[in-house]
Amino acid sequence: MRIKGFVLACLFASTLSSASQTVLAASDDDKWQILQKAALAAHALSYQGIFVCQSGQQSKSVQIKHFFDGQNEFARNVLLDGSPREVLSQGGDLIIYNPKNEKIVIEKRRGQNMFPAVLPANLAAVKQSYTVRTGDIERVAGREAQILFLEPKDDLRYSYRFWIDTEYGLILKSVMFNSRNEMMDSISFTQLNLVNTVDLDWFKPKIDSKKNYVMEDEVPAQADYNPSPHWMLKQLPAGYRKVDQMLRTVHGKPLPVTHVVFSDGLASVSLFIEPITSGVKPRAGHSVVGNTSFYSSVAGYLQITVLGEVPEATVAAIANSVVFVK
Amino acid sequence: MTEQISALLDDEIALEDAEHLMAGMQTNGHAGEVWSQYHLIGDVMRGANALSPNFKQNLMAKIDLEPTVLSPNAAWVNEPKVLSEANELNEARSKKQALDVKSKLPATHLPVVWSVAASCAAVMVVGWMVLQTQVGNQAAPAMVAQAALSQEVATLPATSEQGVPAEYLMAHQASAPSASSYYIQSASYTE
Repeated sequence: MRIKGFVLACLFASTLSSASQTVLAASDDDKWQILQKAALAAHALSYQGIFVCQSGQQSKSVQIKHFFDGQNEFARNVLLDGSPREVLSQGGDLIIYNPKNEKIVIEKRRGQNMFPAVLPANLAAVKQSYTVRTGDIERVAGREAQILFLEPKDDLRYSYRFWIDTEYGLILKSVMFNSRNEMMDSISFTQLNLVNTVDLDWFKPKIDSKKNYVMEDEVPAQADYNPSPHWMLKQLPAGYRKVDQMLRTVHGKPLPVTHVVFSDGLASVSLFIEPITSGVKPRAGHSVVGNTSFYSSVAGYLQITVLGEVPEATVAAIANSVVFVK
Repeated sequence: MTEQISALLDDEIALEDAEHLMAGMQTNGHAGEVWSQYHLIGDVMRGANALSPNFKQNLMAKIDLEPTVLSPNAAWVNEPKVLSEANELNEARSKKQALDVKSKLPATHLPVVWSVAASCAAVMVVGWMVLQTQVGNQAAPAMVAQAALSQEVATLPATSEQGVPAEYLMAHQASAPSASSYYIQSASYTE
């Protein structure tokens, strides 16, 4: 609480100290400072608006309302196009209300990377793998924004471009580009304003109340702290760290599958390890579906599957880092 | 038992509910015979080409000439360097597996194994075709781009690539979501 109060004070102090400072940001430290502030502003400001999310051929509008009461964070995201899905989050807990046929399925998740809070609070890992560069000032959603580029230091990750509100410090637009500078993914506010709400009446789903609300079948994942005797990781691709490991029951698999998550601070990769099922031909090879790269290979008796929104070289390197232990 | 076998043949019993039947047909010589004969009857009624009298024996003899059919690493035999001590162990293990399976299954019961293998293969083919269609529909640019990068792909055995189960993509999006994955679900995430 005390820390959050302090952080908030800093945020407002720097917000008030005028926009010109961000425009003239010269040293790298200043640029990282803008990103640091953006990471914070997404959590510590109260705002509402509409953003458009675009990935591949698809595009969806989302209405967001985010409220921070100095202690707790509440957000409601309503999909305006297509199926009326809603995502409600309170702090790091996230609940998705997903209409499916005649039911509303409730899915619980751990919330992270929710736009506009796409940057991690701690940018140390990001600084290690990306360089920062300032661009022009542009207008987004009727507001003035400073462009910042995050460019990868190697070919193991994509590049990002952020449009940051010169007054609020919020990320107004975030775009991911591949190595050929083609846009992979874009999220952008079309409308945004700060709010001074105190009530929380709006913090509930408003999907068809005549339908039944049901919990999704338990997502069968449990934390896995035990080092496996059958495999180990050697030489991960630069910048990627293991951030999570769990055991997952996957439909159609007789044994639990180990799921390991890696991140470089911005991009995430999932690694799945399972014993090869006798009689089933092991998978091997590359594929790309939308923004996601897939790589399958075999290590000893293990089927390795790696996927993530990263270049193919990265999924291949992570798959090859798994060593079968006799 | 014979009625159940007939039902299984007609798809009236789900494959996953038929484990006891499979086990029965493997241990009970008569049930195995019934399974073979029903298939034969079906083939004749559909006017399928009759096979030579000793087809099964000839086929099994040819398969016997290929010792590593059941090797989990069969597709990787041509892969250089990846082989190492681990693979020697694999080969030893797979040979042993092959022997085990054969010794457990007298020749008359082999059709059971074959039909199960055929179902698995069919499921894989369908799955792969579905993924291919999706890739074709949704990610044509990506595929074109991939063709340019195919040098690495070419070193992998072409026949061994199959679709990654959609469950993995869902698990990835649940545990490591990208900002847009909350709102836009990927091609192979079907609702």
